[in-house]
Amino acid sequence: MATEIEFGAQSDTGCVRENNEDSYRVAPEMSLFVLSDGMGGLESGEVASRITVDTVLEHCREAEANPSLPFAGENIQGICGASNRLASAIRLANEVVYRAAQQGAGQRGMGATVVAVRFADERMSVAHVGDSRIYRLRGGELEQLTQDHSFVAEQVRRGKMTAEEAGSSTMQNVLVRALGIDAAVEVDVSEELVIEGDTILLCSDGLTRELSDAQIAAVLGECANAQEAAGRLVDLAKQAGGGDNVTVIVLRHAAKPVGAFARIGKWFKNSA
Amino acid sequence: MPKLVLKFENSVLKEMAVGSKEVSIGRSPENVLVIDNPAVSHYHARVFNEEGRLMLEDFGSMNGTFVNGQRVKMVTLKPGDSVGIGKHTIVVSESRDLDGFTSGNGGSKPAAPKINETVMLDTKERREFLQKVAAVGESAQVSPARLKIPTLVVRKGRTNQREYSLNDKLTVVGKSSMATVKLKGWFAPKAAAQITRRDDQTYYIGAADKVPSVNGVPIAHPTILKSGDIIAVAGVELEFVFRD
Repeated sequence: MATEIEFGAQSDTGCVRENNEDSYRVAPEMSLFVLSDGMGGLESGEVASRITVDTVLEHCREAEANPSLPFAGENIQGICGASNRLASAIRLANEVVYRAAQQGAGQRGMGATVVAVRFADERMSVAHVGDSRIYRLRGGELEQLTQDHSFVAEQVRRGKMTAEEAGSSTMQNVLVRALGIDAAVEVDVSEELVIEGDTILLCSDGLTRELSDAQIAAVLGECANAQEAAGRLVDLAKQAGGGDNVTVIVLRHAAKPVGAFARIGKWFKNSA
Repeated sequence: MPKLVLKFENSVLKEMAVGSKEVSIGRSPENVLVIDNPAVSHYHARVFNEEGRLMLEDFGSMNGTFVNGQRVKMVTLKPGDSVGIGKHTIVVSESRDLDGFTSGNGGSKPAAPKINETVMLDTKERREFLQKVAAVGESAQVSPARLKIPTLVVRKGRTNQREYSLNDKLTVVGKSSMATVKLKGWFAPKAAAQITRRDDQTYYIGAADKVPSVNGVPIAHPTILKSGDIIAVAGVELEFVFRD
């Protein structure tokens, strides 16, 4: 069935911070959506997140024009070319932020998280580094598709901390993986099937620090369109305190209206 | 470092260094070296380094791979060899200009930009970096000699195979073109269920158009598969096992 991605996005400084260090880019022509949360003093967090999203888009765009463009790093087994290209783009973004951090005097600690998704037919490539997240709402169930590269999340995975302890820990903001910190970075990549009605959420931790999974699921389930859901999520996070920058991209996989004849034709094709 | 020069008749189309990363050759855009010609298979052949030797392997392509006129399956390449794929020729040569990247004194450090300037690598720098990491920044993936291969064995229902090795991170059960476990029949759903591999090598079964059951119990959320689990969905039964 012909499908299209409906998207909405919103970013806000929040109620406490002075700068918005989050960046996002939507490239519907490539079905590519990227979000990054920057860190570091002065304006370096903003610079890091902007470099990240721009580099990811740039690399994917360049690969569209030139499929033999080399990949940064080793290709991962068991995923398709588009997923490996996304990983390559993130490794390249790491290199660019890393160089910027090395070159800009006094900008150590400059870094960024990244979450990115790209759709190709019914396959979605999912890639991330850091503690920004990707969720999927399917059949009313909210599922986190990424695992935070944070100290507390690792402790929980190892069974050394409960989810409740993690939620109140003062170590919540400590990342174990981010872009721009080392010359090389390991990128987590997975692939997901996309079916009609799936809603995908990319968000910075400014959202998930303020809202529970249940609140997020309710907004995604209730809102009529993706942009409304994005705006509503940001508003709720601000009402809950807005302690950090908050950025969301909401994607909805909706079926294109298909005429009765096209549908029958499709049927025959499928059952042949 | 050896270099591959792709030629069509007398014109050079592309040049590519072969580092530790293999160069896959074929018509599919997923290949490193793409030759867009109907005479070329989607995944035609590959060139790779093995213990200092440059190897060429044909993936059982329809029209074959030729080295200096001889059809080959797997051979060692040397500088000057001419590899024929369809009407294209790939000439093997020693590359001088790329050696700078491996010796570490390439000297491509650009002038330090101010932090509040946009610090993007320009196109040339980005290309250099890509060449560098594509050539030297990797180690060959070593897989353990005896690996347990997760497998789905069809116990009941109509599918296109009796058994499936789960090599990919995503496995779809359904009638969709992207499905690995292809369901047959008029009313089979396009995507009945999905199995995803996480980085810790666990396999999760999740719902798609249908909610699968594991050992007779419908799953409420993505569920880890254990050896011996029976998955039932859309009229088929699949046993999940780890094979030697």
